[in-house]
Amino acid sequence: MKQVITGRVTVIKNEKDYYKIKKEVILVAKNTHPDIVIAIKNIKGIITEIDNKLCHAAIIAREFNKPILMGVNEATKKFKNNDKIAIDFSKRIVKKIK
Amino acid sequence: MKDLLKYTYLLNINQIEKKIEALWQRYQEILSNPKSSWEDLNEARAILYFLGYLYPEKIALESLEYRVKLIKPKIDINEFLLAIDGKNIKVLNKYKKNKKFNKLKEFYLIVKNIKNRVKNNTYLDEGRFNKIYSKIKPKDYS
Repeated sequence: MKQVITGRVTVIKNEKDYYKIKKEVILVAKNTHPDIVIAIKNIKGIITEIDNKLCHAAIIAREFNKPILMGVNEATKKFKNNDKIAIDFSKRIVKKIK
Repeated sequence: MKDLLKYTYLLNINQIEKKIEALWQRYQEILSNPKSSWEDLNEARAILYFLGYLYPEKIALESLEYRVKLIKPKIDINEFLLAIDGKNIKVLNKYKKNKKFNKLKEFYLIVKNIKNRVKNNTYLDEGRFNKIYSKIKPKDYS
């Protein structure tokens, strides 16, 4: 799996937001919802506020081989839809790119 | 819930599965009964919290983290979970005949089954629970 990925953000506020994903994005959510599978092929990576090896997002990420960064405090407030970001998984850092 | 914890200590897979299903059935029974009281709804709330969070994310995870360390040849918890969820044939074949690995795998799959259970399009029927709970909640409840 890649150490660094870049992409545009989609912030998930409720399950309906999964249906709006039409192109490849980095998903930012508190945790995930069953409807994530609808959009899974367009999800390049996942950032969650919750941090637990057995949370839904962690399980989904392992099942679908998606890179995930968990435990990013207030990620759903820090990032906005369409922000361009880079995630460095080895350093556990997320940066906005201008 | 006490029994489920007891059988988790014992790692009695059959009983763990039975106790989880019994809690789920009780939860469904409360949600499906139009005569369920405020007290019943709070029992359902306790089950939802226990099955959806406390048991899988705390109790079962701690149990797995502790026990996976005892598997030989060594495998860490992240590799263990990734091998099972990602269906990593190479790792799964390596531990194919390892009793400890297979027992913990079975335990994890039971935990995952309840954690990821979807009913009425929400995890653990939470949408239905929230709707009933708000409807029956006393106005002076704080």
